[in-house]
Amino acid sequence: MFFVSIAMFFIAPLTAWKIHSAMRETNMWDKKGIKVIAAYFLVLNAAAFAVSAYRGVDMQGWNPFTTTVSFRLKYIALSTLMGVCMACVLCGFLNRGITVAEIRKYAVRFFVDMKKYFPYAVRAARADLKAEVTNSFLDWMWWLIEPFCMMLIYTVMFGVVFDAAEEYFPIFIFIGITMWSFFTRGITGSVEMVRANRGIVTRIYLPKYILLFSKLMVNGFKMLVSFAVIAVMLVVFRVRVTGSVLAMAPILAVLFLITFGIGSILMHYGVYVNDLSYITGILLTMMMYLTGTFYAVAKRIPEPFGTVLEKCNPIAFLIAEMRNVVLYGQALDWKLLLLWCVLSVFLVWIGVITIYRNENSYVKVI
Amino acid sequence: MREKKSAIELEDVCIHYSIMNHVSIRKTFLRKKKRNEVFEAVKHVTFSVQEGDILGIIGKNGSGKSTLLKSIAGVFSPNAGKIDLKGHSVSLMSLGVGFKDTLSGRENIVLSGMLLGFSEREIEERAQDIIDFAEIGEFIDRPVRTYSSGMYSKLAFSITAMLETDIMLVDEVLSVGDEQFRKKSLSKMKELINDRKRTVIIVSHSISTLKELCDQVLWLHDGEVRRIGKTEEVLGEYAAYMAPEAKSPK
Repeated sequence: MFFVSIAMFFIAPLTAWKIHSAMRETNMWDKKGIKVIAAYFLVLNAAAFAVSAYRGVDMQGWNPFTTTVSFRLKYIALSTLMGVCMACVLCGFLNRGITVAEIRKYAVRFFVDMKKYFPYAVRAARADLKAEVTNSFLDWMWWLIEPFCMMLIYTVMFGVVFDAAEEYFPIFIFIGITMWSFFTRGITGSVEMVRANRGIVTRIYLPKYILLFSKLMVNGFKMLVSFAVIAVMLVVFRVRVTGSVLAMAPILAVLFLITFGIGSILMHYGVYVNDLSYITGILLTMMMYLTGTFYAVAKRIPEPFGTVLEKCNPIAFLIAEMRNVVLYGQALDWKLLLLWCVLSVFLVWIGVITIYRNENSYVKVI
Repeated sequence: MREKKSAIELEDVCIHYSIMNHVSIRKTFLRKKKRNEVFEAVKHVTFSVQEGDILGIIGKNGSGKSTLLKSIAGVFSPNAGKIDLKGHSVSLMSLGVGFKDTLSGRENIVLSGMLLGFSEREIEERAQDIIDFAEIGEFIDRPVRTYSSGMYSKLAFSITAMLETDIMLVDEVLSVGDEQFRKKSLSKMKELINDRKRTVIIVSHSISTLKELCDQVLWLHDGEVRRIGKTEEVLGEYAAYMAPEAKSPK
């Protein structure tokens, strides 16, 4: 009976470990295999517990000996699903096995490199912004004009023609467009990033994600300019702003992290796969409609799908939360934000390790 | 007398290129298994350069000279073997690369300098020297893409020449610009080289330039060291080797 009770904790890690060893085509019954399975055990159970806690399972669910069959089954299903995904992601994205020593090595190197190249990234971002200003006719006005015109177009299209009835519709749309374009510009840029910087990359070593980091700082600055416009609009439309508006900062930070994470992974594949930019173009357009840049996902798409879409699509979630805290004075869903924060850190970590491992051959390919 | 230390040590360095190049998704679906051919650009190269010495590398096109140089500069690390720079700072001077086209020359000076490991302040201090040396005048504040190819290379040369790193790697840039600038850069080069702390590796096809500048010459042939030694001897052999081959097509 004891074994049956605690079996729910072991099914997922065993499955994940099996897939892991099959994909790596290695025998994993040695010391390394034990480490891998222990890692899966800890991560998967922690994740499953976190989800249970988030869903508000009552305290009975915490005790493996007394919990219900229904919870057991859900727990197993959930953790196994996560285990399969995790194993596939780990083995698929990273073409060789990860060792603990390697994780430590790259983590240290990441912080050392970040410290060393951060001033460069800032300076490059500043130079880029300055170049954009000096080379164009209307200077920095474009950073205001472009999103503002987009906002007008969408407001007219959806507010008047399709009769959308969100409160403060222009600001509602402006927030959506601003955040979405930060994401989409980052992703589109990252695919071509290494090739676009051929001049630098072929002459000197720098960690290639620094290029993306610098680019995101440029985009981030433009996003902040747009948010300044939003602040003005809040006054014009007499929106009642509450203290929850402070939650803007963590939301934007997570947006930055998640764009950096996805971008750095795509940046790696963009070096090798020529036509990746078409695919990301299509996917981004599809994503744009699912993300609710100009409508509220949770309200417009029939339940349960609307809520699911909003919570599972990080950008949709971030945009919805941003609207909630800025426009409607609601409290932030900090639990889910924290979850997405952890996931995006995980993505960044995958991206950075992938780049570190492969950047050696980038120069030879481009 | 102080004993000379070696500044660069290469041990059994191999560099491969896998001839996979770009993958397009259609190709991946149509061809099931790609053959991943490996081209060995540099094979088992071992040598060391003493601090303050000048090494010339000569060889036919495609013999792996630039690849080796890039690898020493750290652009990519070798597939096998070790490159030890003993903690010296290094810069690679090569034609026509290293700039962001949309930025002005001045910004590019700062950015290149920062990547070479200088602080913003150190670069600001030397920026004027660089600009003066490059003789670009007012173009310095215009985007680099508006430069003529001569100005482009002159700026590239000046940056590496004025921001002094311990090790300089020079890839075919001694024929930059017009006659006057060429003389100036050659004399600047000699001045840099005469500083006995600076270690230099020069890749060139010009036998006369190498003869003038180098203490030691390495002849690279198909990625392997064919000969390394005294300038006169190696260059003599190389010239003898190249002479009949130049006639043979006719």
